[in-house]
Amino acid sequence: MSIASQSGLEKKIFLDPTKQSTLPKKQNTKSEKASVEYQRYEIETAKTPQIFPYPNRFRVKVKKHRLLLLILKEIFHYRGKMKVVKDPPCVYGVFSGPVGGMIPREHLCVGCLRCTTQHPDLARIEFNADFLKLGDSYFSNELIDTIMNEAKDGNVPVKGAGYRGRFGGTGWNGMWTDMSEIVRPTRDGIHGREFISTVVDIGEKASFLDFSGKTEFPSFPKINLPLPMILDLLPEDVYRSDILQILSNSAKKVESLVVLPFSLIKKESLTGSHIVPLVKKGEEDEFSQYYSEREISMVEVEDAESWQKITNNFPQLIIALRVGFTEDLSNHLKAGIRVFHLTANYHGQAGNEFVLDAIGHAHRQVVKHRLREQTTLIGSGGIIAAEHVPKAIICGLDLVALDTPILVALQASLGGESVSSDSHHIKLPPKLESKWGTQRIENLLSSWRDQLLEILGAMGIREVRRLRGETGRAMFQKDLEKEAFGEITGYHE
Amino acid sequence: MSNQLKDKTTEELIVEKHLAALTKGFQSWPTLEHGKMPALGDARWTADLIYSTWVQAQTGSVPKNGLEYKVGNSGGGFDLLDFKFADKAKASTAKPADTSISLNKRSFGKRCDIPLPFYGAGMSYGSISQQVMLSRAKVAKKWGTFTCSGEGGYPDELIPYKDHVITQVATGLFGIREEVIRYAPIVEFKYAQGAKPGLGGHLLGDKSSIAVSKIRESVPWTSLFSPFPFHSVYSIEDHKKHIDWVKTINPEALISVKVSTPNDVDMVAVGSYYAGANIIHLDGSYGGTGAAPQIAKKNIAMPIELAIPKVHKHLVKEGIREEVVLIASGGIRTAHDIAKAIALGADGCVLGTSELVALGCTRCSNCERGRGCPFGLTTTDAQLSQLIQPDRAAEKLDNLYRSIQEQLQEILRDLGLSSIKELRGRVDLLLYKRENQKEKTEGEKN
Repeated sequence: MSIASQSGLEKKIFLDPTKQSTLPKKQNTKSEKASVEYQRYEIETAKTPQIFPYPNRFRVKVKKHRLLLLILKEIFHYRGKMKVVKDPPCVYGVFSGPVGGMIPREHLCVGCLRCTTQHPDLARIEFNADFLKLGDSYFSNELIDTIMNEAKDGNVPVKGAGYRGRFGGTGWNGMWTDMSEIVRPTRDGIHGREFISTVVDIGEKASFLDFSGKTEFPSFPKINLPLPMILDLLPEDVYRSDILQILSNSAKKVESLVVLPFSLIKKESLTGSHIVPLVKKGEEDEFSQYYSEREISMVEVEDAESWQKITNNFPQLIIALRVGFTEDLSNHLKAGIRVFHLTANYHGQAGNEFVLDAIGHAHRQVVKHRLREQTTLIGSGGIIAAEHVPKAIICGLDLVALDTPILVALQASLGGESVSSDSHHIKLPPKLESKWGTQRIENLLSSWRDQLLEILGAMGIREVRRLRGETGRAMFQKDLEKEAFGEITGYHE
Repeated sequence: MSNQLKDKTTEELIVEKHLAALTKGFQSWPTLEHGKMPALGDARWTADLIYSTWVQAQTGSVPKNGLEYKVGNSGGGFDLLDFKFADKAKASTAKPADTSISLNKRSFGKRCDIPLPFYGAGMSYGSISQQVMLSRAKVAKKWGTFTCSGEGGYPDELIPYKDHVITQVATGLFGIREEVIRYAPIVEFKYAQGAKPGLGGHLLGDKSSIAVSKIRESVPWTSLFSPFPFHSVYSIEDHKKHIDWVKTINPEALISVKVSTPNDVDMVAVGSYYAGANIIHLDGSYGGTGAAPQIAKKNIAMPIELAIPKVHKHLVKEGIREEVVLIASGGIRTAHDIAKAIALGADGCVLGTSELVALGCTRCSNCERGRGCPFGLTTTDAQLSQLIQPDRAAEKLDNLYRSIQEQLQEILRDLGLSSIKELRGRVDLLLYKRENQKEKTEGEKN
């Protein structure tokens, strides 16, 4: 992550409220040159298995007396050829433990069902009730499991045999992304020669070039993030020293940001430009004092008054207004606010709307004010799967902030309906090792970024910034069904 | 018994043992004497659909014990469509309805009729075993229809069936040699595939055995990527050059163009027609037999049910509908799906997963894991692939084809039609049943 001026020079800065800008005019030293040398962005992944108990998807039930009978029958039938008798139906090793099928190694079962297919009276594969209980009504067990695997190795989840789910649906599920069939010469797909950029900007941008004789272009503080994902605020009761350390380390390592309550940052003495303090009403003066000498790139506030106070003290600081999706942005835009962090609850509800629709409304509101290019929209709440990131961006966000998926990656259990930071049952495991937790989050972000690249590659879009608000690159179920089924008796919108 | 035991190797006995047990299992589960497998099936392929496909593969007819063999439980698309059988009544029951379709509607080139409105999907040597390929080729020959090589050429054992094997040319050009183009009655250009549109193909290193890599002219046991897109095709004109190249080698070959289902699929279809395609093959996003990123399967491009009418109507509008064959695939599971796809505007369909289910697939989605499919379907593992015996497997497919034909004839009879061709685009014969139940979870992935 870097803070950059409009001229494109990149350098981390310390904000001093007394100075307008500390950006250098040109690069002089060797180290400065090296700092802007091109490096392909990559998140380092490493195998980081679950360390706390996690339910296997399947239960393997074997009727032992029948198994014994089968073995005896086969010993007789194959005249003691034990290699034949002992060869199990499972190719994944479930029955290859020291006592074979007598004590199946359930954790190895992948649910292929071969054992039960060929021995209906002896073996039975069932869904594990503990697995089915994972998650809540929004964060399904399948999604929990997907995140577990993504956090484990950072890979893109790949499976055979086609799609297994329901046909479209509501919310995120009622939307498909487009792809480019016979493509234009400007793209080469994800395996091609060209690089697909996932860089996004936070901060105001100049809306036009001024050639009126001025020699200086307007300079706005801007953050370039190499991926359109930051780590969001979590419920206050989950913050522990170890968790704060993990969040801070992960954000720093992937060159992203983490939003944390200012009070906690201060208490834990967390530092770094990757940390975004959330300053509550009444904390502005304390904040100004605390950060006058410290490195910071961005701050979040919860109302316009706080925004104004901090802007007065830190004119070069990016200050995001964190409000619900239902907020009318008009007055804030008129007041000069250009960075918004819009929030829905953990189930993606924003008032009466689902977050996907709310994103569209917010985006169009800013477009209507002719300020979309100058404004950054960050969104959070209900974004719990890799596919939600491109979909949210297509509908109008610049980038997303992740909440509950981060906790799930750290093996937190939802333990019941977890709707918001005030109403949840999220429980984290006991003290987490920093290295393990940091790597789990890195793996998750790497996997989600790679999946974003898959979507962009299929579309033939070479940078994620071009995806923002491109609803023409999305297909909505209700529109397609109307076109396809409109003439069929019984169909109505 | 003892002599038989003596004559067989341990490996042969192991295969025999498992094969016997599996055969029994495939027969006994659909009887429901053991209930239903608790972990079998999903929204698209329910346990009932899987069982009923097993039954059809064994008996050549639909199950009679109440298993739902027509639709799945996906809550949309084909699963919410039905036929207006209330208006039935007219056609004579004396003569079964004609289920044949033509794969060349142009006024030039060879005639090519198939007796069923579907043929076999492209599944490459490597992604499936040689035994499975052979089984599919055998049944294609028996019915006078086609199966498709997929991208990767095919082994010499398939040459006797070459008149029934479509050669697929995809971006990696794996296994594409002059002779496989010369053999081919139909050459299929695969621009994209429904399960992973815009992402190309990928054969995992573990599956790229010595035999597979020999045909693909690659290094054994290394992963093979078939990149997206064709780096020589950036326009319809470029695509036309590909077709010219094939026609130079095999002037008789019909040309099929396989594309997935993006927003502008209708325009792509028109362009493909003008470049010389005989068949436009739409591959919808919910199908696929091989391994694919989960995000792609669910989210990229539209389901086939929505793409067929879009393309059909556009071809009609362009005045070229009667000159091009529209084939649909990607999520076609049953005879009823085939009939619905045709009523929506397709001429015919391509079946992939249904054939694998008939041969014993439980849709466990582990095709890419370890030694490959534990049922011997999508694997190149020497022992596992022995679980498929081509002659027996071809019989199963033959039974499935017969059952599908009978069901199609029954549907046509009940609709008062005498030919499957009359059903094309007849959305007036369809009924949409809206599902009342709201989807339970917004975040539900699959």
